[in-house]
Amino acid sequence: MTNFLEILIRGLMLGSLYALVGMGLTLVWGVVGIVNIAHGEFVMLGAYFAFWTFSLLHLNPLISVVLSVPIFFLIGATLHKRITERLTNAPELSALILTFGMSILIWNLAQFFWTNTYRSVPYLTGNFSFLGLTLAKSKTISFFLALGMTIALFTFLKYSKIGKGIRATSQNSEVALVCGIDTKKMRTLTFGIGIGLAGAAGVIVSLQWVIFPQMGGSYVSKAFAIVVLGGLGNVQGALVGGFIIGVLESLVTQYMSAKMAQILPSLIILIILLLKPTGLFKR
Amino acid sequence: MGILSKKFLILVGLAILLAFLISFPFFATDYWMTLLILILIYTVYASGWNLFSGLTGYTNFGLAWFIGVSGYVSSILIADYQWPWLFAWPMGALFISLVSIAVGYILLRIKGVYFAISMVALTEGTRELFGTGYLEPITHGGKGLPFVAGIPLSTLYWSILFLAFVTIFICYKITSSKFGLQLMAIREDEQAAETLGINTTKAKILAFTLSSFLVGLGGAIHCTYQNYIDPNYAFNIQLTLTPIVMTLFGGIGTVFGPVLGATLFTFIHEILWAELTLLYMAIFGGILMVLILFFPQGLLGWMKRRGILPKIRKI
Amino acid sequence: MGEAILKVDQVVKRFGEVVALDHCSFDIEKGSITGLIGPNGAGKTTLFNLITGILQPDEGRIFFKGEEITRKKPYEIARMGIGRTYQIIRIFPKMTLLENLLVVGREKGKAVVEKAYELLHRVRLYEKKDEDASDLSFGQQKLLSLAQVLMLDSELILLDEPAAGINPTLQNELMELIHQLNEEGKTFVIVEHDMKVIMNHCQKAIALNYGQKIAEGSCSVILKDETLLEHYFGR
Repeated sequence: MTNFLEILIRGLMLGSLYALVGMGLTLVWGVVGIVNIAHGEFVMLGAYFAFWTFSLLHLNPLISVVLSVPIFFLIGATLHKRITERLTNAPELSALILTFGMSILIWNLAQFFWTNTYRSVPYLTGNFSFLGLTLAKSKTISFFLALGMTIALFTFLKYSKIGKGIRATSQNSEVALVCGIDTKKMRTLTFGIGIGLAGAAGVIVSLQWVIFPQMGGSYVSKAFAIVVLGGLGNVQGALVGGFIIGVLESLVTQYMSAKMAQILPSLIILIILLLKPTGLFKR
Repeated sequence: MGILSKKFLILVGLAILLAFLISFPFFATDYWMTLLILILIYTVYASGWNLFSGLTGYTNFGLAWFIGVSGYVSSILIADYQWPWLFAWPMGALFISLVSIAVGYILLRIKGVYFAISMVALTEGTRELFGTGYLEPITHGGKGLPFVAGIPLSTLYWSILFLAFVTIFICYKITSSKFGLQLMAIREDEQAAETLGINTTKAKILAFTLSSFLVGLGGAIHCTYQNYIDPNYAFNIQLTLTPIVMTLFGGIGTVFGPVLGATLFTFIHEILWAELTLLYMAIFGGILMVLILFFPQGLLGWMKRRGILPKIRKI
Repeated sequence: MGEAILKVDQVVKRFGEVVALDHCSFDIEKGSITGLIGPNGAGKTTLFNLITGILQPDEGRIFFKGEEITRKKPYEIARMGIGRTYQIIRIFPKMTLLENLLVVGREKGKAVVEKAYELLHRVRLYEKKDEDASDLSFGQQKLLSLAQVLMLDSELILLDEPAAGINPTLQNELMELIHQLNEEGKTFVIVEHDMKVIMNHCQKAIALNYGQKIAEGSCSVILKDETLLEHYFGR
């Protein structure tokens, strides 16, 4: 029984992280209309950011999390303004190939400069006991960090002026434009937020797992499954989707095998697209 | 201009090229044979991909699925059942095209990016599946299957040369036919095409299946050439992406774009790889980005727009 | 009263909780030009979508030339003889004018090319036959769209706001063409907001509001109808 509870909690903690990555992807996809295959690479960059600030500047990773948001936001916004905004009216294949090229560029440069050596941020190690359960410190703190970011995101989207502008652009960009909303600015801001979320997720990841240049790949495939599950552009859906994927992965890894857990994202994508392509949740 | 008309010159040029290519094995070194075989394989992949995706606009991100499944059927027949390559190859292609009819019927209802994602999911899932213990007795699982088909290199070369020619010819015929126009109409506005009497479902599935057959045949030959197959090799995402990039390079939706792209790209790859091994992939990624941002129509598209080439469907 | 080429029978269409069409019934007489009027959101385009098979009704049936077409696929219905143009023009932009017509034609070889040439001449666009459709002006695209429908030899042609957005000269040309085609035996149903167009060109009109048919009859009668005016202008 305890074992099952631990697995479930582990899944939820995993899920919170996946949700963070997934929400960033779905936000960009829904508002900007771009499928960012390089989204995982920014998670990787976030992890390396945490690593280098930790080892060179002895910066507390918890501070890095906070710092990473504005830094990666700026990176994302600039990237969009200079590059991806040009593809606003281009066919979808273009965005796919562009971001794919960007993905290859980024992780190969990372590999070139930082080598394939596994890195880590050994800031929070070890476990602790809670109500008879054994939980990893790093994973627990990560969970709360991810939760905190999620709450911040939702508050921002719901109550701030920009957040409302973003939601309007996502629902109907033509109408939003007519209503005087600067949709181009909204797209740029959204892209920035998406990348900001990815970078922060990366810092959080660095607390728990090894860091290496190609790590982005696995996050992207899970993020895709989350976006499909939750419905395109549906941030709340992505949150729930993230938890579902996290829990499923934890359960399948424990009761079947890690290899079977690898098939999960692909399977989910196919099933959802065939049965309920708009995702499980209503807007 | 008399006998030196443009058409005549083109035909003569093609005849010389053909003669050169057919006699190639008699004077080429192993290095050049390898290079040309690869160019021809990727020409088939790129043209096959373009035939479906370039015309209908349904981005097929599952080319490796065609290659892998056909490659496995063909290789297993050769290695475990002692089938001659002459029959194993078409069998692999036939198998994948039959499966593609069913898969196409199911998945081609899904539009846009979702279709692309579902094909990736299908490929990844099949890759994992072929590597599992359950299927190991047939597929040899993750260990891989090294095998020898007993085919001389020159014969393999002539086979892929023949397939490449057939593929290009089919693309040429279809692109300037009514069927080709129907596929393009699907890309332009599928629903409007439907209300104008075009059976888009039938057209899509037909093109998808044809693409799978040609690419599958190429895949069978490719695996035989490598004398090896395993799930990571056969279903590698690179097998999907490289032909797509080649097609974009040469000109998507055109007849000779994929050929041009495959040829140029392979040469560039050779040069880059030799000179800049470490940063090769990074540069590849960068080239991709530049391509999409500034030359989305590829080389042929650019030439047609500049008037260097006539704006006709035949090329 | 001629035979009914189209029969819409108690058709209901819902989108979630919104009832777009509420037990709508009417007949279209063969060889007539009928106007379909009503405020925005009345259900006119939805009706067109149901007739052409893009959507399926939740209740009710639709008959064309006596045969039921309620559950048929769009391409089947098109081949049976119903053609349709859209409010927002839907031609194939990156194909040439000629290709736009060739792709629709069901004949083979030379015959289909001949027919395409003929139609291009008829809509006065022959000189541009090898240009991309996206290079045409708005009005020319409307004509091309109509030409596509004619390639199908459609007997019933549904036009969604054909006069909108084009200058009066072109409007007249277009309506001239429609009358010519009508004399050749084609039946038209035209959705229009411009009441002058309806008055001058349609024999009969059907009025919809909130998915229901609220009036049906000859044009002169309909357009003086008090209840109708109330619906339209909220008097």
